[in-house]
Amino acid sequence: MTGVRATPVLLVAALGLAQAAAGAQAQPEAPPPVEAPVADPAPAAVGFGVEDLLLGEPAGTPLSGEELDRATEQVAAKMRCPVCQGLSVADSPTDSAIAMKREVRRMLSEGYTPEQVLSYFERSYGEFIRLAPKPEGLNLLVWIAPVLALAAGAGLVALYFRRRPRPRAAAASPAEDPELEAYRERVRREVGT
Amino acid sequence: MNRKVLLFGTLLVAPLLIFLALSFRFNPNLIDSPLIGKPAPAFTLRDLDGEVVRLRDLAGRPVVINFWATWCQPCIVEHPVLISGARRYSGRVTFLGVVYQDRPELIRQFLRERGAWGPSLLDPDNGVALAYGVYGAPETFFIDAAGVIAEKVTGPVSPGQLDRILGGLLARG
Repeated sequence: MTGVRATPVLLVAALGLAQAAAGAQAQPEAPPPVEAPVADPAPAAVGFGVEDLLLGEPAGTPLSGEELDRATEQVAAKMRCPVCQGLSVADSPTDSAIAMKREVRRMLSEGYTPEQVLSYFERSYGEFIRLAPKPEGLNLLVWIAPVLALAAGAGLVALYFRRRPRPRAAAASPAEDPELEAYRERVRREVGT
Repeated sequence: MNRKVLLFGTLLVAPLLIFLALSFRFNPNLIDSPLIGKPAPAFTLRDLDGEVVRLRDLAGRPVVINFWATWCQPCIVEHPVLISGARRYSGRVTFLGVVYQDRPELIRQFLRERGAWGPSLLDPDNGVALAYGVYGAPETFFIDAAGVIAEKVTGPVSPGQLDRILGGLLARG
């Protein structure tokens, strides 16, 4: 039983150590946690930066205004901030996340679809960039394993209750149990009733 | 019953512990770049003097692209290694720096004080860093003569890594 009780402690310690094993790399300090404004793409940089997004033609319609704001938030919420712990790009105040959000906005304003935008970042960062992995191949385990575990647990509980010895029917009444009646008689005698 | 619980608990916990023990062999912050073996994202950027640098123009010999910043302590540690490497491989390998989330005036001052190992390109909207899947600084990408990303080093590159990787790329021709 000790091993079972110690498990949470071991898991916490192990996860803590894994976190501590970070590489010798640096990220800029995060600005104060306020909602950073995402500026529209700067028009002056035409011809500079990445020459080809390798996505082909935009497959959607260019977005603008509130629709662009909403779509940017929705796509950014599906992306993992690469320099944070478990935060989406939409929620992170870091420079990296802000730059990503700006790029998402730029791409959506040019008519790229949300899936094209996610594919673009996936090509550079891998599937890690998606907060929810695509439900295909081994990833299916993420969806199936909890259901299987739940079913297995329910099965074990059912098995346990089925095997447990049933409680005896009603206890024998004193009248039916001569041994017990003898004891009762002795008690009566001794207390003088 | 206790023996059964112990057995069941062990069967449940042992795989978890093995999984975690194996995980210690890997740095959770180091994720292989999916760009290895793929064409390097082409870009055009300006350096600190306003000169235009196009990656495509540099095809034909290996290129080292280092994402760095003055606020990044490992980049400062790495700086002499890159200076020495750029000198040793001069004429055979092109060394490019891409400024990662930093201000040009700080970069200029840093380079005045410590010397430069190659042009430092400005990436004001971080677009190139995002295209290369950069997580932080420093990160160094090694591109072969055909323009394909051969290797990526996360964290400061060592002289040994530089020689091993560039030696391999130059031997390939």
